[in-house]
Amino acid sequence: MAKYIFQRILAAILTLFVILTIAFCVVRLMPGSVFDDPDLSDSVKKVLEERAHLDKPIFVQYLYFLKGVVTENDWGTSVKLSPGMPAFQVIVQKIPVTMALNFISLLIAVPFGALFGILAAMKNKTKVDTAISVGVILGISIPSFVFATCLQYFLAYKFGWFPILYQPTATTAVKVSSMVLPIFALALSPIATITRYLRGELIEVLNSDFMVLAKTKGLNQFQATVRHALRNAAMPLVSIILHMFAGVVGGSLVIERMFSIPGVGGLMIKSINALDHSLTVAVLIFYAMISVATALIVDLTYGVVDPRVRMGGKKDE
Amino acid sequence: MDNNDLVLKAENLRVSFRTLTGKVQAVRGVSLELHKGETIAIVGESGSGKSVTVKTIMGILTKNAIIEEGSIMYEGQDLTKMDEANFHEIRGKKIGLIFQDPLSSLNPLMTIGRQISEVLTIGKGMDKESAKARALELMGQVGIPDPEVRYNQYPFQFSGGMRQRIVIAIALANDPDVLICDEPTTALDVTVQAMILELINKIKAERNISVIFITHDLGVVANMADRVYVMYAGKIVEYGTTNDIFFDPRHPYTWALLGSMPDMETEGRLAAIPGTPPNMLTPPVGDAFAARNEYALAIDLKYQPPFFKVSDTHYAATWLLHPLAPKVPVPEGLQKRIERMLREEAEYNASAGQ
Repeated sequence: MAKYIFQRILAAILTLFVILTIAFCVVRLMPGSVFDDPDLSDSVKKVLEERAHLDKPIFVQYLYFLKGVVTENDWGTSVKLSPGMPAFQVIVQKIPVTMALNFISLLIAVPFGALFGILAAMKNKTKVDTAISVGVILGISIPSFVFATCLQYFLAYKFGWFPILYQPTATTAVKVSSMVLPIFALALSPIATITRYLRGELIEVLNSDFMVLAKTKGLNQFQATVRHALRNAAMPLVSIILHMFAGVVGGSLVIERMFSIPGVGGLMIKSINALDHSLTVAVLIFYAMISVATALIVDLTYGVVDPRVRMGGKKDE
Repeated sequence: MDNNDLVLKAENLRVSFRTLTGKVQAVRGVSLELHKGETIAIVGESGSGKSVTVKTIMGILTKNAIIEEGSIMYEGQDLTKMDEANFHEIRGKKIGLIFQDPLSSLNPLMTIGRQISEVLTIGKGMDKESAKARALELMGQVGIPDPEVRYNQYPFQFSGGMRQRIVIAIALANDPDVLICDEPTTALDVTVQAMILELINKIKAERNISVIFITHDLGVVANMADRVYVMYAGKIVEYGTTNDIFFDPRHPYTWALLGSMPDMETEGRLAAIPGTPPNMLTPPVGDAFAARNEYALAIDLKYQPPFFKVSDTHYAATWLLHPLAPKVPVPEGLQKRIERMLREEAEYNASAGQ
């Protein structure tokens, strides 16, 4: 197991390094510089660029960046949006609201998705199953921003049940109710995905040989399903849910903007527009870290849940 | 055989499957009897309805199956009419099943020990300690070395033969009266096969249970069974004691099956049965075997043969046994083999008698 964990962590670090390299290059290759300001004199501009190493070739810039990251944990400094502030510190301020949004919507999605999925599988080939499957197709195919627009129009504007936009400064009650719509908009697609996968997996597992054996042991349908089917069906779900987290974080980029939530997503768009390159790279790496971390957790949980992975296929006969 | 020790009796069982192309008639009027302490074998090629018959007995048919007709009487109850809530009191607990494929019939995520002991804790209400002790005992009985170590291992750490032993241990945990073995050795290699068969025979003798053995391997039948049912295209075509079937076969299909079994004296090419079994979506009007039968009569194409009595224990469904039918002798090669087998048997009995 220790060897397995070590391998996974090493792979995660390598992945992160590759992403970091690509992110840095892509952002730095964008035309324009934050110092392209007509108000700055050429000499001032030159001094500033020299200090930020912008006068050097991109490879040298990259080495400076790497050196900063490795030796001083320095991920660059914001120049424009929050001048002089370390990039990661800017992000850290925005993390709570983004994470709250994502975690809560995923936390809501899991039980609902599981419920619908189990229901559809148990009632396979009935009207209940068909209704749930239609809902799943809608949930997967409607983009979250379209769904969000509908929610804003009907539930907020027409019926006035919820505020249209996020209200960070209002009272707690209003603040919470202003979070409902974005959370709902973000949870739709995960609910549909979980339902679809769990339904498929469960139907397959319910028809497997060991379920027949479980029945011929004398277990009734309920005992057999709970003891033998659910764990086997949940296996692939572990990876899907965690990977979905990365997906939800990406989706929240748009949703944050639509509900004007001051999160990391908004920061990324603003930093690109402001040519605040260090900040853009840092935000990209923040997102990459979430993806890599979830992938790592997926691998490790697999090891815990599935003895075949945990023991590395080791047979002793 | 009197009827007092009758354990299980299937009568005129008909089972079909609804499919997209129509109704597949998998079992067409099967009747069989199982007595206390005996082993019956159901033989036939793939798709003859052997497995469907025992799945019906176990109540584990897929959802698209329909039991059209017939009854399966067990302890005064008709299993075909029983609802799911009551069936699991019988399935496993009274009638055990050993599967064809031991590789996929164990839950990959549960330790071997728990898969055996859960039968005891859930089915018999034992507490965990005594269930574990009993499971270890069962593992020892089916020949698992180091049961204590093996108890906490997972199926992927077991070989095919070991897994089949576990499946047998699971079936035995409930102390069933009837054990159904659905081709239990098909997925295993020959040496393991012999051990598993020996194990089943030993268990049967120890516990005086009745066994239904399904196979397409006639060699296995000769070792295991007291009586044999030969099945073709969803119907029983001949049944009798093992001696009846091996030494005095009457149905051309039984001849063909016996003729296609190699033995030590077989010379030249092994005889194969020409053609393939009929499509059970539209079974033939007459005798289903007629199209592949070199001894087929004109009537075979029009009317299904009834059972003709050969002896008190031996019946065969072929028009060849009709008083008006031409006399057809057993094929020459098969006849020679039967004579040789009879001679060997007599020699063996003589030497055993001394």
